[in-house]
Amino acid sequence: MDPLKHQTQHNSVSQKKHKPIADVALLLEGTYPYIRGGVSSWVHQILNGLPDLTFALIFLGGAREHYGDMQYELPDNVKHLEVHYMMETSLEGNPRARPGNAEKFADMRELHRAFKRNDIIKPEVMQSVFNSLGAADGITKEDFLFSEQAWKTITEDYQQYCTEPSFIDYFWSVRIMHAPLFMLSDIARKAPPVRMLHTISTGYAGLLGVMMSQQRDIPLLISEHGIYTKERKIDLAQANWIHDPVDAMGSNLQADSGYIRQMWIRFFEALGRMAYQQATQIISLYDGNRQRQITDGAPEQKCQVVPNGIDPERFTKLREQRPEALPKVLGLIGRVVPIKDIKTFIRAMRVVCDRMPDAEGWIIGPEDEDPTYVQECKSLVESFGLENNVKFLGFQNIADVLPKLGLMVLTSISEAQPLVILEAYAAGIPCVATDVGSCRELIEGLTEEDKALGAGGTVVSIADPEATAQAALELLGDEDKWLAAQHAGLKRVSQFYTLERMFSTYRDLYLDSLEKSSWPELDLK
Amino acid sequence: MAGIGFEIRKILNKQSLLSVLEAYGYAALIGSGPWVLSVIGVMIIGILSFGLVLPQSLIIQFLVSVTYLMASSLILTGVLQLMFTRFIADRLFENKQHIIFSNLMGALWLTIAVSGIFGTLVLWLLFDESLIYEMLMLANFVVLCGLWIVVIFLSSMKAYRAIVALFLIGYLIAVVAALSLTAFGLPGLLAGVLLGHGFLFFSFLYLIVREYPGEHFVSFDFTQRRQVFLSLALTGLFFNAAVWIDKFIFWFTPETSQAVIGPLRASLIYDLPIFLAYLSIIPGMAVFLVRMEADFAEHYDNFYRSVREGDTLEHIWYLKDRMIYTARQGIYEIFKVQGVTVMIVLLLGKDILELIGISTLYLRLLYIDVVGVSMQVLLLAILNVMFYLDYRRLALGVCALFFFANALLTVLSIELGAAFFGYGFAVSVTLTVLVGLYLLSRKLDRLEYETFMLQGR
Repeated sequence: MDPLKHQTQHNSVSQKKHKPIADVALLLEGTYPYIRGGVSSWVHQILNGLPDLTFALIFLGGAREHYGDMQYELPDNVKHLEVHYMMETSLEGNPRARPGNAEKFADMRELHRAFKRNDIIKPEVMQSVFNSLGAADGITKEDFLFSEQAWKTITEDYQQYCTEPSFIDYFWSVRIMHAPLFMLSDIARKAPPVRMLHTISTGYAGLLGVMMSQQRDIPLLISEHGIYTKERKIDLAQANWIHDPVDAMGSNLQADSGYIRQMWIRFFEALGRMAYQQATQIISLYDGNRQRQITDGAPEQKCQVVPNGIDPERFTKLREQRPEALPKVLGLIGRVVPIKDIKTFIRAMRVVCDRMPDAEGWIIGPEDEDPTYVQECKSLVESFGLENNVKFLGFQNIADVLPKLGLMVLTSISEAQPLVILEAYAAGIPCVATDVGSCRELIEGLTEEDKALGAGGTVVSIADPEATAQAALELLGDEDKWLAAQHAGLKRVSQFYTLERMFSTYRDLYLDSLEKSSWPELDLK
Repeated sequence: MAGIGFEIRKILNKQSLLSVLEAYGYAALIGSGPWVLSVIGVMIIGILSFGLVLPQSLIIQFLVSVTYLMASSLILTGVLQLMFTRFIADRLFENKQHIIFSNLMGALWLTIAVSGIFGTLVLWLLFDESLIYEMLMLANFVVLCGLWIVVIFLSSMKAYRAIVALFLIGYLIAVVAALSLTAFGLPGLLAGVLLGHGFLFFSFLYLIVREYPGEHFVSFDFTQRRQVFLSLALTGLFFNAAVWIDKFIFWFTPETSQAVIGPLRASLIYDLPIFLAYLSIIPGMAVFLVRMEADFAEHYDNFYRSVREGDTLEHIWYLKDRMIYTARQGIYEIFKVQGVTVMIVLLLGKDILELIGISTLYLRLLYIDVVGVSMQVLLLAILNVMFYLDYRRLALGVCALFFFANALLTVLSIELGAAFFGYGFAVSVTLTVLVGLYLLSRKLDRLEYETFMLQGR
């Protein structure tokens, strides 16, 4: 009999003695309930929107000092919260010579070879590695830090793969990179019994999901708002704590980054691929991200889009507050930062005002994040002589502002699924948005049924003030067209982008997974 | 400590026959340890005062008294020697020269206090001699203990010409003073030795203070828990005790010894050959110093620099191999030089004994002792590599083995009869060398694994 299988069975049997304390464990990396933001609001909505399910929260932070008090009041269906800080992983211990388990190290190297080949990882290899990680008869943290097998692995891999000269840099990178995995395996072992797992990112939380799912044989759901691997790549490309070797032969023509940097990127890619492979369902906010997940190794049949939603009822009153005449006001709701490309909005306003001198452009959002950029924007307005047309309103309650707008404009160079478009629709305002994230889906529709509703505005390319102005003038200057867009937007949001729809989709996903779970149901229900 | 290594390297770089002689001569002087020089100095005093001091038994009393002073002071300061050497080496590595002086003063005050109390107690409880004899013994003891602490610094200093000159002057003072005080008998000879050692102590202290000026007068950082390597204290104690244990056993076995003065006993049959044998290690010690302090230290630095400063693994391995190669070469060369020395003693031993007027009955014991002390030089080289690589537990184990093996086998050799005298020491030190070599080479195979994986051990 396969010893690994035996071990897994033993594991799950022993754990089944305990009743699960919640249906779903949410694995949260650096978000809810300690950090405010889009993802956290979404988690809070899900928790409140599905009161018949119970949740356990496992929060993974970086350094303890980056997190203050809890930012949300946890609803009653949250039965458990535990908090861990990855930066507190220590590389110390009791440095004593030890041989290390050759068999388990061989499995672990098999896993790494699969990463390097971009292969599917054999289920039995993944099972062996994650059941032995941190286990006394497997590979403990001490084995990783001090054993001869670990040394053999590090030196052989260095010789075979590393193209950078400094062995000590390679050596420490490997240690620093992998040490948190032992903390995760410890968290995975000690976490309370639950019936399924839902991680809100790949990365460390995703890996924790893989470990718990492997160790306990329970379903794993992944929801990604952004794409974790892509964000990490951007961080790592700019990280100055990794120093690339200087090529003695002069400048590096290929401009490729050093091996250590690549190694870190591959590390997060591997975390992502393992999570995708282990997951039962992989959810993204819009189709662009779904494609990206597939490129990053997610099996297509597991991928599904579940967009965020809003409650259109909340905006009915705002629609009623709208004035008779169409206000010639273009609104941009967002932080004044470069990624929102406020300057393109201002340049577009110049074109609009040339043709429609009474038009106004309102920039609505906090200005404290990037004061230099704010100043540049304000100077640009002055240089165009648009002081009377373009206004910086700062942070506003959107309920006060929305009825006064004639058009919502989004000039961002990067977005995921911007809720402002949905809110504008619900408040009866068409949108002009750049072709980023899910904007095209939101404006033109995704499915045939959706597209048949018509366009809720216009999609323009990024950094194109001329086209942006043209689209705005067409909508503001043609009342019929404007009304058609308003109608399409309203229909689209209430048909495809309601909170209710999001809740019911997630409820179905959860119930489906819970049905497959090898764990007994909760008695509480 | 590398100071001497650089100097020897500089002399050797002149690449003339004379410079080689100079380098090895200097290395022999520093390396064979002041205590070999002391043996020579004291022997010269003994031989020259022959006929000047009467009765002749006084000269024997003098030689035995000084031998006990050497043995007890070396064993007592053995606790501090390695520990303090390591402390100084670490501070020099950290470029904290300014705290060296105050800690030297701390170490000296501690040594003087402990040796003073210890000496007083021993003299008061066990001796019933003239006050002047006991006072001189106490003074000699304290000065010798201080001198062993001070000479730790010699291998770190650059002023080697001054050191050579001071040694010569010091022993000249001892010999001249002792001979001119022969009228006072035993106290006169002891006073001569005291003057010589006192001169050496204070003049070396002066050299050190000149090289490492300090801000505070006394501090005891070297006794702080974080700085203390208990294993080094024990290693120093075991090594020095091991070197002397066979002598003590012979001195205090009634069949092999006779009372000389007060409680002090000597073994005429055992002592003379072994002290003569110790003179034969001088060439080996010179090679030891050049190979270990210059060559090995250099390759050791290269290896650890390549580890710290981000070299490729291949190059780290290459430098490790180079380092091990130099260690092996060093040990091999000591083996060769001592081998030749042993051959010479085997060939000429009889003539040498006859020349200095010693009975050839001692010849067989001299042969086996020459082999034993040559092995002791190899043991020093092995221990030195262990100290460099910070294998403290290994060094402690080896020294403990030396001590217990020497004690056990010496007792056994006495049981077995006169034909086996000397084998206890020679066999135990040879055994220790073989075990040490085996353990060291096993440890070196894992050097890079331990260097990287077991940091902060």
